[in-house]
Amino acid sequence: PPSNAGRAPSPPDGGWGWVVVFGAFISIGFAYAFPKGVAIFFKEIQDFFGTSYSEIAWVSSIMLATTYGAGPISSILVNRYGSRPVVIFGGLLCGIGMVSAAFCTSILQLYICVGFITGFGLALNLQPSVIIIGKYFLKRRPIANGLAMAGSPVMLCTLAPLNQFLFDNFGWRGSFLILGAILLNCCVAGALFRPIGAATASVKTQATEEGKDALKEEVTKDAMEMCSSMNTPMETKMEEEGGKDCCEKINQYLDFSLFKHRGFLIYLIGNVLMFLGFFAPIVFLAPYAKHIGIDEYSAAFLLSILAIVDMIARPTTGIIANSKWVRPRIQYFFSFSIAFNGACHLLCPLASGYTGLVVYSVFFGLAFGMVCAMLFETLMDLVGAARFTSAVGLVTIAECCTILLGPPIGGTLIDTFGDYKYMFIKCGVVMVLAGTFLFIMNYYNYCMLAKEEKERKAKEEDPKSVRTENEGRNNWNKETIRDGPELEPLREEREGLKKEVNGT
Amino acid sequence: CNRFGFSPSEPMRTTRTANWQTQGSSSDHLTLGHNVSTPGPDLTTQEFKQADKENVSNVTFMEYEVILPGECVSGTSIIKNITLDSASRIELSCRLDNEYSNLKSLQVTWKRGNETIRHINKTENSWSIQLMILDSSKMGSYSCTLKDEEEISAVFHLQGKLFKILEKPIVSYEGDTAVMICKSFGYTPIAWTWYMTNGSEQIAINDSLLADKYVINRISANVTHLKILKLTKEDDGVYWCEAAFELGKSKGKLKLKVLSLMVPLKPFLAIVAEVVILVTIVFLYEIYSKKKEKRAVEFWNLTSFSYSKSEESNGLENSSARHRRI
Repeated sequence: PPSNAGRAPSPPDGGWGWVVVFGAFISIGFAYAFPKGVAIFFKEIQDFFGTSYSEIAWVSSIMLATTYGAGPISSILVNRYGSRPVVIFGGLLCGIGMVSAAFCTSILQLYICVGFITGFGLALNLQPSVIIIGKYFLKRRPIANGLAMAGSPVMLCTLAPLNQFLFDNFGWRGSFLILGAILLNCCVAGALFRPIGAATASVKTQATEEGKDALKEEVTKDAMEMCSSMNTPMETKMEEEGGKDCCEKINQYLDFSLFKHRGFLIYLIGNVLMFLGFFAPIVFLAPYAKHIGIDEYSAAFLLSILAIVDMIARPTTGIIANSKWVRPRIQYFFSFSIAFNGACHLLCPLASGYTGLVVYSVFFGLAFGMVCAMLFETLMDLVGAARFTSAVGLVTIAECCTILLGPPIGGTLIDTFGDYKYMFIKCGVVMVLAGTFLFIMNYYNYCMLAKEEKERKAKEEDPKSVRTENEGRNNWNKETIRDGPELEPLREEREGLKKEVNGT
Repeated sequence: CNRFGFSPSEPMRTTRTANWQTQGSSSDHLTLGHNVSTPGPDLTTQEFKQADKENVSNVTFMEYEVILPGECVSGTSIIKNITLDSASRIELSCRLDNEYSNLKSLQVTWKRGNETIRHINKTENSWSIQLMILDSSKMGSYSCTLKDEEEISAVFHLQGKLFKILEKPIVSYEGDTAVMICKSFGYTPIAWTWYMTNGSEQIAINDSLLADKYVINRISANVTHLKILKLTKEDDGVYWCEAAFELGKSKGKLKLKVLSLMVPLKPFLAIVAEVVILVTIVFLYEIYSKKKEKRAVEFWNLTSFSYSKSEESNGLENSSARHRRI
């Protein structure tokens, strides 16, 4: 399109991007589904090593904790080397971890091989996949995110029967060996993650140095915005010109200045709270069903219903979130879906009998899919794709604690009261609270952003802030970075958003 | 021919009811089946009442009753299967309906196999025998036969307890260890024995004799483990675990499959090869498309030199921007 001719390229929003989405689909799918899928082997391993159930369950917990806890390391590596090498290395690590697990002779070795090594490999898969979607998509990012996150339920549905088949035919050792090979497919996914952004740096510097007339200045401003939002190498170059100090150097690798970012803090607190009640209902759905008298197979079928609804809900949510009514107000949509999730849990104890639980599973699957599809999209929306790399690392390590605490707290509630309903009530209350908190705080955030936008517009009129000079560019860049380019998607959308917020 | 009528019976003196259907998710013991070959829909039988274990003094006492139909059904028999787990005193009785108690010409015989039992307690319209079952020698089939014009008989089968076995074959590898488990549901066996099959024979496994090969552990009262170390191809086959109860024995069958390491290695190598091929294809495609781009840029450079200077710069910008935007 000729309008883009003089501008620096924006994210492709298509073309090779869809191939990247497919790669992310596989990568994210493995990262989320594998810890759950491997639980099928636990019974046999428990008998083989003669350990108790809780000792075996530690394998899953260590894996999950490492996948989330290694987030910052993943972020640092992506900031330094880009997504592709990290994912390929992660895939190799996973493969090595599982292959060595096949030859383990003690439960401790299993903790290390399956828990740490494979968990770390999965962490190196998860974060870069999410990050690279932000680099390839802007206008259609919610759809891309929704599609990529749909990998998790699809992989889970595939892995569960596959694991059972492998186990019946090869025992647990042979299955681990073959699963190691299957995990190597993450390397294929990683190979698809063609780097983007670095090549465009030279073109952009050309464009910026040429800006002379008003039109070109506008174009430059946009270019700089795009540039700052997409191009970490560009950013570091700017900072080098401005003079480096210790903090900036660390921030290059892991942006701790995010903790001063209002949107990031809101997201962090809301999500950390939400994860306390997020996973527990899934863990306890089948035991609850058995508790009220449903047989084993029907109880397992409930989880299948959940997974199938989840599979459909994620891309659908992505499409809805991308529509022009929802995109500017995506944070509200996210808060609504969290609160909806909580409401489902609160109503679950009222469900009686199998039909009631099926209805609950359907709604839970829907709500779960909605939240997951927008989990990373909203963070990208708040902090922008440049700082997203560091943001996702910091968020995952914070979530790590509550994710691990959630099911055990639920389990303790069940054991203390002997009744599952208190666990559901606790999860429901926590999520409704989180949803409400996010809703209110994001409303506040939108208002503040609108105010800041007004102030910025006023400053732009001032001829003193010269854009063509390096220093001015530096400061101005830092401002735009700090405020988070959530208004960047489209000019038209930006105008529309301002009108909305100003009107409220 | 309608000499006997029948009506629903009244429950007998009971101790406590037991829920016989939901002991574990499989046939732990034979459920009560009775082969009613009569068409009488109102034929009811007693539910088994079983004493709670805590109330067992020395021996439990249980009563089992069958109500015989009145319709003209000759040569039919009603079969009741009873499973016992511990020594008990049993009363088996055959009863007719109240209404037809005036039939004095009835002859009732109790038999075990072909042996007739003499001590029959007769009441108004029921005939019963009492048995003390302390070991498996008294198990078997007991029948009561009513003879008038037709012969009706009821058979009680007494058996010991069966239990669940793990149905799936256990897969293990040469040089590795295999653990096989047998569980008994509800009732505690006195002893466990493991057998391996050699051809068509079953040979008991003596773990003290072959201590470095077999280890038998009784993990809990109801669970036994057989651990086989240093597996070889010869260990592949069928194994039996046998539980001895007070009143009989039950067997469970387990299959062990011993594979060599080559077996999973083949799919492993196949998948690794697939991964390597795919990664190579992706990278080759990338190099190819980059070369194509470079060639196109060079082409543009060559052609744009022939234009005027302004157009030239535009063309350069355009082409580079366009190509970079992939």
